[in-house]
Amino acid sequence: MATVTVHALTFSYPNRTRPVLDDLNVTFPSGKFSLLTGVSGGGKSTLLKLIAGLTPLPDAGTITFDGQPLSQISPADRAATVAMLFQEPSTQFTMDTVVNELRFALENQCVDPAAIPAKITAALDFIGIADLRDRQLMQLSGGEQQKVALAIIVAMDSDVILLDEPFASIDPPTRLALLEKLVMLCTQRGKTIILADHDLSNYDRWVDHLAVLDQGHVTLLSPAETQTRFAAFTPDKLRLTHVTLPTDDLTVSLQGTQLALGHEHRQLLRPQDLALFAHQATLITGPNGSGKSTLFRALVRLGNYQGQLTYDGQDIRKLPRKRYARQVSLMFQSASAQFLNVTVAEELALSQKFGNHTYFTPTRVQDLLTQLNLADHVDQIIYSLSSGQQKKLQLLCMLIMAPNVLLLDEPLKGLDFASIQVVMRILTTVQRDLNLTLIMISHQLSGLDDLITLHLALDHQQLTYQEATP
Amino acid sequence: MNPSLKLALVVLIALEVSFTQVWTVNVVLIIVSLALMLLNHVTLKRFLWLTLVPLFFASALVWSLTLQGTASQHFLLVIFTRMFVYVYMGGLFTQTTDPLTLTRSLEQNAKLPSKFAYGFLAAFNLMPKIQAEVATIRAAALMRGQELHVWSPQLYFKVILAAMNWSDQLAAAMTSHGFVEGAPRTHAITVALRSRDWWVFALSLIAVQVGLFIGLP
Repeated sequence: MATVTVHALTFSYPNRTRPVLDDLNVTFPSGKFSLLTGVSGGGKSTLLKLIAGLTPLPDAGTITFDGQPLSQISPADRAATVAMLFQEPSTQFTMDTVVNELRFALENQCVDPAAIPAKITAALDFIGIADLRDRQLMQLSGGEQQKVALAIIVAMDSDVILLDEPFASIDPPTRLALLEKLVMLCTQRGKTIILADHDLSNYDRWVDHLAVLDQGHVTLLSPAETQTRFAAFTPDKLRLTHVTLPTDDLTVSLQGTQLALGHEHRQLLRPQDLALFAHQATLITGPNGSGKSTLFRALVRLGNYQGQLTYDGQDIRKLPRKRYARQVSLMFQSASAQFLNVTVAEELALSQKFGNHTYFTPTRVQDLLTQLNLADHVDQIIYSLSSGQQKKLQLLCMLIMAPNVLLLDEPLKGLDFASIQVVMRILTTVQRDLNLTLIMISHQLSGLDDLITLHLALDHQQLTYQEATP
Repeated sequence: MNPSLKLALVVLIALEVSFTQVWTVNVVLIIVSLALMLLNHVTLKRFLWLTLVPLFFASALVWSLTLQGTASQHFLLVIFTRMFVYVYMGGLFTQTTDPLTLTRSLEQNAKLPSKFAYGFLAAFNLMPKIQAEVATIRAAALMRGQELHVWSPQLYFKVILAAMNWSDQLAAAMTSHGFVEGAPRTHAITVALRSRDWWVFALSLIAVQVGLFIGLP
């Protein structure tokens, strides 16, 4: 049992003028399940990392566990005080297999070697993943990795459990299973749980307190206020009015024959025939972790697949890599994966050199930069841009390339409302002017209606075209 | 054999071979390494790699030295076999040693600070990730009309950037699982350092000394 108290915490990143957290005061009550919410980029991760001791505190006394700062707790006891589950499942392990990672964590706590095997078995059984014990961590799905990470926290017996958007890449059934385990840890073992999420759906049964992080301050709502807030939250609804089922007059661009994705332990897509159509804007939806990004990586020959994939009737494995990459391109989910240069101007120059420069004249590019609020940043180093600015620059660079088929993996991720409107307007105009084929994965569902003409849903390992939603 | 002691033995022999010129000892070392590799079921493919790559470099070296015309026959033979000694002994070591056991042994037997031991292991576990990253960077470049080759500085710039990011992530991962630099740890699995290991170590070294002594002109 431990109460987490944050007192007068101010934190700012180097090179930023405004502090992310500004004189923040909050108390997370012991043995309760608190949900931390707020806009993306608002400082939720920063706050959790500071509490977990992963980011050094500017003043050690500002965060205390039952009155004691983390730095005053002996190293062997720190992990038993607080532990964190990361947003990106694969980045939280040091070892190769599940059992070795558990051993590593327990060794760090100076647990008597004789007691280690029993603790490992108990933790795996509590989460219900005894069968994963000897598996390689990197071969597990995102959901399984999060379960392992939680099992490690259970084994370490940490009093405070922090979770940073832990469900961002895992499927709904796994999310529910994990939530149930968390609630058990909270009610049966008295753990203090702080979970950050911007999506408030399906928490009403579990959560005692909602903590809202806004403009660097946190407000902790009472249980009654929390329930009111949950009731008022309605998740984005998908509304696509221009969508039809594919008709015979459409041209097939990419064709999968008996296409399947996955490996022996986990099938993502059962063998199926799949046609993707030219000059259309197709939206692919489906639960987290169901294999949408894996499909995109297969389409650009960065991932394995079974069956056959053809582009304009030719097997993509037989097409020269260089030529194919110019015809079918991918806008990666992570913006930094796309960039090859240092400054914004260099990055744009590269796209203009090899891209469609008859349409994207310098005037048009300048105009687009202004619309995207990037015109004042051309001389800036890309990696010093905010994540939203990086996303917009990434999109512009890929649009200038104007490949026949452009795959967009979460192009609106982390953008604010105004930016989404601008980006969607630009996408729609360019798609119509150049007759591009766009295929998009997006969890951001509002604002897509003008662009999207076809809708593919991935469910139960099958992709099927959908009709319009009213 | 204990991994730390095995590493020490391989390094010591390699050093000695570098400073002496006895081709017969080299040949014996090659034969012993080969036999041990066969005993440990090294795959044919791996074995061919370990043979063909040094064969190319050793032949190139010998050929260029012959063209220069100053090196003696004896020296050429020493140079040629030395290359194989390095590669085969290195191959024998990597093929018969599990990185995690080596890490544990370095930490427990050689008293290497755990920071270095686990840092080494984490870097080893990053290998497949680096390969995937390189493939992604090259694909991203192709999509922009640029072909990146193994000698393109941009490729290294991006890989280093990614590696810096990973090192932060890895440090966070280790901290969140309770690792504190310099703090005491227990060991779930102990790596034994038996007297048999010391005997093999000492006898092998003595055998090499004797060989070198007899073989020296």
